[in-house]
Amino acid sequence: MTLTIDGRQITVPKGTNVLEAARALGIDISAFCYHPGLSIAACCRQCLVSVEKNPKLQPSCQQTAGEGMVVHTTDPQSTHARKQMLEFTLVNHPIDCPICDKAGECTLQKLYFEHDNADSRVDVPKIEKPKVVDLGPHVVLDAERCILCTRCIRVCDEVAGVHELEMSQRGSHQELGTAPGARLENPYSLNTVDVCPVGALTSKDFRFTMRAWELEATPSVCNGCATGCNTEIHHKNDRVWRLVPRHNPDVNKYWMCDEGRFTYHGLRDDRLAVPTIEGLPATWDRALARAAEQLKAALKSPAQVAVVLSAQHSNEENFALAKLAAAWKVTNVFVSASAPAPGRADAILRDADVDPNARGVQAIAGAAVKPFAELEAGINTGAIRAVVALGDALALGDAAQGRLHELDALIVLAWREVGAARAATVALPIAAWAERGGTITNRAGVVQRQHAAVLPPGQAVAGWEALVRLAQATGASLSKTAWSHPREVHKDMVAAVPAFAGSQWGREARPIQLRFANSRG
Amino acid sequence: MAGGHAHDAHDDHGDGPEVLSVSDKNPRVRTIQVKRPTPAESSYLAATAKGLGVTLKHFVKNTFSRRKNTYIETIEYPEQKFEYPERFRGLHRLMHRDDGAVRCVACMCCPTVCPAHCITIVPAQTDDNGIEKYPATFEIDELRCVVCGLCVEACPCDAIRMDTGIHAKPVEERHEAIMTKDLLLELGARSTAVQGGEGADWRGKK
Repeated sequence: MTLTIDGRQITVPKGTNVLEAARALGIDISAFCYHPGLSIAACCRQCLVSVEKNPKLQPSCQQTAGEGMVVHTTDPQSTHARKQMLEFTLVNHPIDCPICDKAGECTLQKLYFEHDNADSRVDVPKIEKPKVVDLGPHVVLDAERCILCTRCIRVCDEVAGVHELEMSQRGSHQELGTAPGARLENPYSLNTVDVCPVGALTSKDFRFTMRAWELEATPSVCNGCATGCNTEIHHKNDRVWRLVPRHNPDVNKYWMCDEGRFTYHGLRDDRLAVPTIEGLPATWDRALARAAEQLKAALKSPAQVAVVLSAQHSNEENFALAKLAAAWKVTNVFVSASAPAPGRADAILRDADVDPNARGVQAIAGAAVKPFAELEAGINTGAIRAVVALGDALALGDAAQGRLHELDALIVLAWREVGAARAATVALPIAAWAERGGTITNRAGVVQRQHAAVLPPGQAVAGWEALVRLAQATGASLSKTAWSHPREVHKDMVAAVPAFAGSQWGREARPIQLRFANSRG
Repeated sequence: MAGGHAHDAHDDHGDGPEVLSVSDKNPRVRTIQVKRPTPAESSYLAATAKGLGVTLKHFVKNTFSRRKNTYIETIEYPEQKFEYPERFRGLHRLMHRDDGAVRCVACMCCPTVCPAHCITIVPAQTDDNGIEKYPATFEIDELRCVVCGLCVEACPCDAIRMDTGIHAKPVEERHEAIMTKDLLLELGARSTAVQGGEGADWRGKK
């Protein structure tokens, strides 16, 4: 379909709407109710355009592009109509931007500056509606701010598959809400906050904590389960404030689940910030010397040493540890994985496997991995005298857990001081998923890149770097070229592991300040 | 582009250095004639004599001018105090609502606009459904403050003012220069601004 928009021709696939065609040309037609990931409602009338040979203005979101269609978006008639529509939308909208969490990323704010920027001509009182309505466990509604675009209703219907929200009343008394007694409690409820073009729906988790315009966004991938939803980490002053989904048509489209959004809370809990020896803080030099001493004694017979990879850590970290195991001639390689949560799985995004990188570890270690039960048995019988583990989660039974203290060496590289890291003879602090660059492989085998958004706390370093230090301390060599950047680890990994063929490290993402990113939602 | 061009043209005329050649790759890269000081200038003899002349002039004026209308600029502090100009701002203060609560709604406009990053606000939620938000902490580091007054300009609800006329006090420890919410409220008073604006019928009131 070839059509002309504002005098410029564009060819789009059949079925594309005029609004998308215009966006492809770089013409951003204003809209509230249109969302590329949802069905079309055409109820906000904010995207009206003139179509030649058509007596009335058409909503460009609903108007399918036709062959030879001539569309004007800047003619006086449609410009005036959109301006009036915006004024109409603003009639009952409270101008409480200073206390509204959406301010700074609000579509209505943005369009007001673009279209009108004039004082209100309304001198009748605004209609009062309920404020601070507790819609569900994660979402608060301010019905006065709502501009009735119905995006949130469609998100619940079409993404979560439950009809939990609905409009009641008519005209300017129309009001969003749940059925009496019902709550907005589907596991995807916070997507309604993302799509809300104004501050009507706000997240309890983020509400009043930080202004949107102060935040910086770094692209990343959710570490919460095997789906690997693409996310943006919104951070400020080396602290993460929220996670929001990032569009990826192949993985998560525009959405992510509520549980995934809250994974950032763990970044500040129980952090291991300095190396520890027998639970007491130490310097890196002393910790590495102690680890090397213990490992060298144990490595005299590599059969009594076990190396545990982790499905919760990146491919680069696991590859470095697998290389280290090979350099030490250790064949007892295990993978620690979390217990699956079958209740969590649905056909939308959430997966029963709560480890983000099970496929990646499988690809790296492959056939060399021994069943985890053998590690447990080895610890229980005393056949295994030393363990080098990535991550704090060693899913051992009570008997083996109690015998961890009897090991000659338990070297743990972890970012939290829990589980195995507390029992370790030497624990080395490493950067968490939001603090280091790396790749993880999702359940479909898509290798995705996580970027470092914030600095690791204290003396923690990226996992691969901690492993390089450990290798140097034990006199092992990980690579012909000394690694100085995760890019080099990735390059060696792509060359060594067939499953990663063609994978690119890509460019480092610089954080985008949301102040300059216009509206979201 | 037009603006940049006009600017370039302006540079060529003015009192700028003499341009010897202009790069063909980038017109803003030019070779200019550098003016070096002459040997007489670099000896600084003439300049030294001129400077001593200024000193001598002030010495004569201070010594022989009439005592009453003294030429000397120093004042006899602390008996005599310097009068600040009328528009001197002084320390910040936080204004009160009718019920004595802080007017600030923690909108974070002032820390956003503050060029010195001296304002720290931690917002929190109130039970008041009309306002919802208040500052749990509100701190101003008066050592960092550059007294520009942008925070007052940015404030949408007449919550922060810089009109106390109180000079920031000298402190022995840095933390003493941080004004907490309590201190700022102590200096404040009830604001006469109408809460929530004048309302929908503002035209009838005029």
